[in-house]
Amino acid sequence: MLKLWRTFKEGKNNFVRNSWLTFATVSILTFSLFIVGFSAFFGITSQFILQNMREKVSINVSFNPDVSEERILSIKEKLSQAKKEIASVEYISREKALEKFIAENNSNPTIIQALQEIGENPLFASLVIKAVQPDQYPLIVSEMQKSTFQNDISRINYEKNKEIFGRLDRMGKMASKVGLILGIVFIFIAILITFNAIRITIYSHRQEFEVMRLVGASNIYVRMPFVFEGFLYGLISGILSVALLFGMTYYIAPFTSGSVNTGDVLNIFFDYFWYLFAGLTILGIVLGVTSSALAIRRYLKI
Amino acid sequence: MPEQEPLIRFENVTKVFPDNIVVLDNINIAFQPGEFVSIVGSSGAGKSTFLKLIYAEEVPTEGSVYFRGRPIHDINRKHLPFFRRGIGTVFQDYKLLPQKTVFENVAYALEVDGRSTADINEEVPEILSIVGLSDKMHKLPKQLSGGEQQRVSLARALIHRPSVIIADEPTGNLDPISAEEIIRLLLEINSFGKTVLLATHNKNIVDKIGKRVVLIDKGKVTHDVSKGKYILS
Repeated sequence: MLKLWRTFKEGKNNFVRNSWLTFATVSILTFSLFIVGFSAFFGITSQFILQNMREKVSINVSFNPDVSEERILSIKEKLSQAKKEIASVEYISREKALEKFIAENNSNPTIIQALQEIGENPLFASLVIKAVQPDQYPLIVSEMQKSTFQNDISRINYEKNKEIFGRLDRMGKMASKVGLILGIVFIFIAILITFNAIRITIYSHRQEFEVMRLVGASNIYVRMPFVFEGFLYGLISGILSVALLFGMTYYIAPFTSGSVNTGDVLNIFFDYFWYLFAGLTILGIVLGVTSSALAIRRYLKI
Repeated sequence: MPEQEPLIRFENVTKVFPDNIVVLDNINIAFQPGEFVSIVGSSGAGKSTFLKLIYAEEVPTEGSVYFRGRPIHDINRKHLPFFRRGIGTVFQDYKLLPQKTVFENVAYALEVDGRSTADINEEVPEILSIVGLSDKMHKLPKQLSGGEQQRVSLARALIHRPSVIIADEPTGNLDPISAEEIIRLLLEINSFGKTVLLATHNKNIVDKIGKRVVLIDKGKVTHDVSKGKYILS
């Protein structure tokens, strides 16, 4: 126990006394971990943004002009009961649709003029349906087309949205794939960089290993301080990389407000803080410890 | 009376380095406890390799080196650190740990042995006072002169109370006065009954010591005189 404590103290002393080497190693390791953390966070955030975009997409069911408001409202009621598939149903009356249309096209005098020439409201009442899961839209549409009110429906603008759903899905899959590949590539690069940085650190101590052996230090006693040193490199770099990630997120957060349903990316950062913190710190420690243990092996021949 | 078992004995020892370079060629020699032996020879004669075989930094290609009757190369790798704690080593380049203070350098040798902090705090200042460095305890090696660094190295070699001190060109980097001081300390250590093996090519020093001189030339022991002077090979 005394020996273990001493080797830990040795490791701590190496860490503190070789300040430049420590600074260089910690910087390199922090940067590597930051890149890994960044690609993980990028993956998480892009999923949230896509999710948010999906949620903003809805289908619009327009009803024939002869269908009464009561009828539409009763259909709305019926649809609202399918809670597993449908998240919300909103009724847009003909008047409201016109109001919205005018508001949206206010700056286009041709359209406003055309409306005035028609003299009556050309728009249909509709229900705006949002699904619980975007992949449920095809099911909802086909159910409606088979329903008792199928003849009341003038048009379901699903075909146009289908394309958007498809694109979002492809983007989602692409983002996960890119995130995963980037993550793996960066982890690999981080391993290489860390291993080499620590190898240089150990190399700078190479003459000391001989001295330590000559005064009768066992291999484990020579090795342990450097393993602890590697542990400290990993721990501190892990913490610093999370701090750096926080700084970056904090800086870009105002530009992302509204792009995710939780507010902005800072909220995602805090939601995932402990995962990121634990992940990066553990990765840093594992990298630091194994790199040290491996790098020192070649100097421990007796 | 039965003959006393030598402390160190070389039996038909040959050491060949890669590319068939024969550094030591069939060496047979023994050192008794309490002896002071100057091992002389020109650079590259094989003095350092000869000494490295004793503290198990090298293994003989042929033959055996015995320490207290036991072949050194039979010692289990795990037990080598314990074996080395019984041998004090001093080198031309001091081999101090640059990041540690004088006190810590000496204390390190006791720490690896698992000695208590109380023991360390008692023994290290004691040994540092013997080599005259009580006032430099908290300095780093780079703040000391060559002679002082070598005295730290000597203190570290002595702290385990080893039965033998191996000094490989300890005066090689020192001015004559510091060199004389180190030799005086080695002789003093020898007077307490410890065996001292001193490798050097400093003629003045060897002549002044006036004890056993072994000449190694081209890997062979060519002269071995009990009260000798530096022999020119």
